[in-house]
Amino acid sequence: MSEKNNAAPKQPKKKEFFLFRWIKRAFFPNRELDIYAEEQLQSPVRLVIRNFFSKPLSVISLCLLILIALLVFIAPNFVILDLGEQDSTLMNISPGFSIMNYPRALEKNGIADISVGNNYAVGVDKAGHVYAWGKTRVSSVINLSDIPEEVLNAKIVKVSAGSDFILALDERGTVYGWGNNRLRQLVLPDEIDSNNRMHEFGIKEIHASDQFSAALTDDGRVFLWGNGNFVDLSFREEFSGHVKSLALTNSAYVILTDDGAVKCANDHASTTITKIPEGLESGVVSITASSNCVAALKEDGSIVVWGAYTKGEDKIPEFSSKVVEIEGGRYHFVARCEDGSIVGWGSNRYNQLDAPKAAVTQKIDRIFSGSFQNYALTESGKLVTWGLKGFLLGTDTLGRDIFARLVNGGKMTMTIGAIAVIIETIIGIILGGIAGYFGGVVDMVIMRIAEVVSSMPFIPFAMILSAVIGTRISVEQRMYLIMIILGILSWPGICRLVRAQMFAQREMEYVVAAKALGVKESKIIFGHIIPNVMSVCLVTVTLAFGTAMLTESTLSYLGFGVPLPTPTWGNMLSNAKNSIVIQNYWWNWLFVGAVFGIACICINLIGDGLRDALDPKANGR
Amino acid sequence: MSKYLLKRIVYLVIVFFVVSLMMYAIYNLIPSDPAMIQMEPLRKTLKPDIWQQQYQELRQEMGLNDNLLVRYARWMGFIPDVNGKFSGMLEGDFGRSINYKRPVVDIIGTPMLNTIILNFLSTILTLAITIPLGIYCAVHARKASDSAIQAATVVGYSLPTYLIGILFIFIFAVVFRIFPTGGAKTPGSSYTGIMEFLDRLHYMALPILVLVFTGLAGMTRTVRAAMIDTLSQDYIRTARAKGLKEKVVIYSHAWRNALLPVSTSIMGWMIGVFTGGSLVIENTFALNGTGRLYWNALTTTDYELVLAMQMFYTLVSLVGVLLTDLSYTLVDPRVRIDK
Repeated sequence: MSEKNNAAPKQPKKKEFFLFRWIKRAFFPNRELDIYAEEQLQSPVRLVIRNFFSKPLSVISLCLLILIALLVFIAPNFVILDLGEQDSTLMNISPGFSIMNYPRALEKNGIADISVGNNYAVGVDKAGHVYAWGKTRVSSVINLSDIPEEVLNAKIVKVSAGSDFILALDERGTVYGWGNNRLRQLVLPDEIDSNNRMHEFGIKEIHASDQFSAALTDDGRVFLWGNGNFVDLSFREEFSGHVKSLALTNSAYVILTDDGAVKCANDHASTTITKIPEGLESGVVSITASSNCVAALKEDGSIVVWGAYTKGEDKIPEFSSKVVEIEGGRYHFVARCEDGSIVGWGSNRYNQLDAPKAAVTQKIDRIFSGSFQNYALTESGKLVTWGLKGFLLGTDTLGRDIFARLVNGGKMTMTIGAIAVIIETIIGIILGGIAGYFGGVVDMVIMRIAEVVSSMPFIPFAMILSAVIGTRISVEQRMYLIMIILGILSWPGICRLVRAQMFAQREMEYVVAAKALGVKESKIIFGHIIPNVMSVCLVTVTLAFGTAMLTESTLSYLGFGVPLPTPTWGNMLSNAKNSIVIQNYWWNWLFVGAVFGIACICINLIGDGLRDALDPKANGR
Repeated sequence: MSKYLLKRIVYLVIVFFVVSLMMYAIYNLIPSDPAMIQMEPLRKTLKPDIWQQQYQELRQEMGLNDNLLVRYARWMGFIPDVNGKFSGMLEGDFGRSINYKRPVVDIIGTPMLNTIILNFLSTILTLAITIPLGIYCAVHARKASDSAIQAATVVGYSLPTYLIGILFIFIFAVVFRIFPTGGAKTPGSSYTGIMEFLDRLHYMALPILVLVFTGLAGMTRTVRAAMIDTLSQDYIRTARAKGLKEKVVIYSHAWRNALLPVSTSIMGWMIGVFTGGSLVIENTFALNGTGRLYWNALTTTDYELVLAMQMFYTLVSLVGVLLTDLSYTLVDPRVRIDK
């Protein structure tokens, strides 16, 4: 050994990875010493740190863990989590920002029509080709981008995207549909579908909504089909022949008659949509619908909004000039003014209202809105998009952003783990210190208590505690409860370790000296001995942190930890318990599992690295 | 030895009663009134004062007015209940489940058998793999193959069991479709004999695999550490110096001694699996075992059942600790504990 060490300084040193070099220089400015100088100069703590950092695996794990910790403690300040937030239209979106990535081929022939559905859109160019883009996968079998052969062959002029199905109208007046047909949204009424005489009706407009669809003919007649149990699909004959346009919300429809009046054509006006406000008996130019509201644009450029507004759809802003076109998304409306400005109002959760500069500076021909997306068609035939592009890690089964839940859940899990370990360490050190220092009866009593606690089956016991106490307290209190339960049930390990160390330390000269000086016993234990024991506890505490995180997540996974909707890594993974999620929506569990797994592995590797670093035999002496 | 054993058993009994008293006290924190549950439907049919009188009588009859210790003693079976009959844990009456409307003893049988089969099979498989693997790692310590296995075991013991469960479901049930994702038998099937056994095994294979994988990591490390320790002993050096073949040294001298400390840690590991591991596994795979029964009972607030199962868990882990301590002396005569 000594031969090697003596020879070492003369040999040229191999160049190390910059990270290690950097850390080395930051912590140990001295150059490497030979073994004799080293023993004189380096304190044990320094030696341990040097040993620890000399292992690449330990350093990498430490860096990774610090990165994860930084992510989960810094990101939640920017990615704010709204616990009540959920949206059925955003369920199970796969990761990526591809929702508004329209195919460039669409622009080539000039855009004829675009219609926006839930997280996808469908467009048709002037040559009659249909394109669908975005999150077109509706279920494991249905994909909206699988456009049927007959549609590809036909010359399509208009398209309409529903929530999970698409309608297309060709130049001859034939209606095609594909996508999800579970509510018969694609089954046209027998009247127009029979005998191949569809083109004789002269259908000029098609509308697809959440669960129903409508068609409008040249002579002003309306046909409705779809889920009649959810939507009132009745149509009063008195309006037949006078309909100019239609607007479909998720659950109702209204018509615009050819004399400029907005009417409800249902047999019974019952919903907030079909109760048309006053002042719309004449002079209405166009109507458009969001999910739950309808907006009407009048000749003088004024706008009237009615319906079930929840996110500020009724707060119509001031316009700089006359409004010429309005479009509705899920919770927002967008208006185009004469001077080319684009103004939006309603929900701005996904920046649906913030039209980019390109849309303002260029002359816009038309705008298309829907869901959380907006498309503006410029005069030169280009598209400008704004709104929801997608989610970094997708959304879960309730339509919540997984990335937001991942970082917020990580913060929760790591905080609970850390505090549980602190509680555990404090109890362990105090009881272990007392037991080890005094010995005798005190030691016996404390160790018996420790044995009782450690012989209790951990998870079942934590579950029953959480179930019994947890039902009567708030979520936040329950979080503290979990920390305390974990801390109280897992201290015996550290207690035993401290006690064993105490036995060795209390015979040392410095303790005898302290006693002779008349230092108080509590001061001797916690002021003199414990600091010397801490380094040995470090390994146990590190590993205990991993265990605490693991136990917390297991409890949450079983439903007895932090309750939903507050995210933790454990209860996010318990979402993935059913095989459908595991199979089809892998992003629900993979990312959380990966980050959590890496964090756990890192903690264990750091613990192992520390153990080796603290081991006096490890230095080869 | 027998004195030590006696001492330990007395101690075990005391701890058991302390824990059970604690559990009973916690259980009684739940605000529930069985007498009220019985009397509530009669409230409208009876006059208030008569109803109140009957309610109080019923409380008296059920022994709800006595203090916690008396009720605990009755529940445990130390003293007779109000009717003068002994009917407690000690007499084998574990109470009635509210959900199943049957005595707890009747319910617990099948799940217990399932859990025992699950743990038994996974233990055997784990040991069958882990001991050769640990020895191999120790013999090839610090070589590439050892490092690779070590890295895999770090992954195995760091990841939570349920995450491995989800991962295995994805790999073996979704991607390769070898095993079913959960359940205990093919739905609607009525196999008998060997077919039934094979069907059950097919459904149990994935949970067993997960348990084996999680157990593998920790045990391999234990075996490896013990084996490395043994290989550095003087008698191994002597055996090599005698000119014995390396195979003989390893398989005849070293591994038997290395397994002594390992055999004791097996017990601790099995208790962990039986209490915590089975809870997670059975919930992930929807297996009808004790863990799932306990989870069901807790979520549906079937507290008589919970309490009985908690007692069972406590007993299992207490006996497990005792057996672990005893096995030290049994496998290693150098350890003397009858002081």
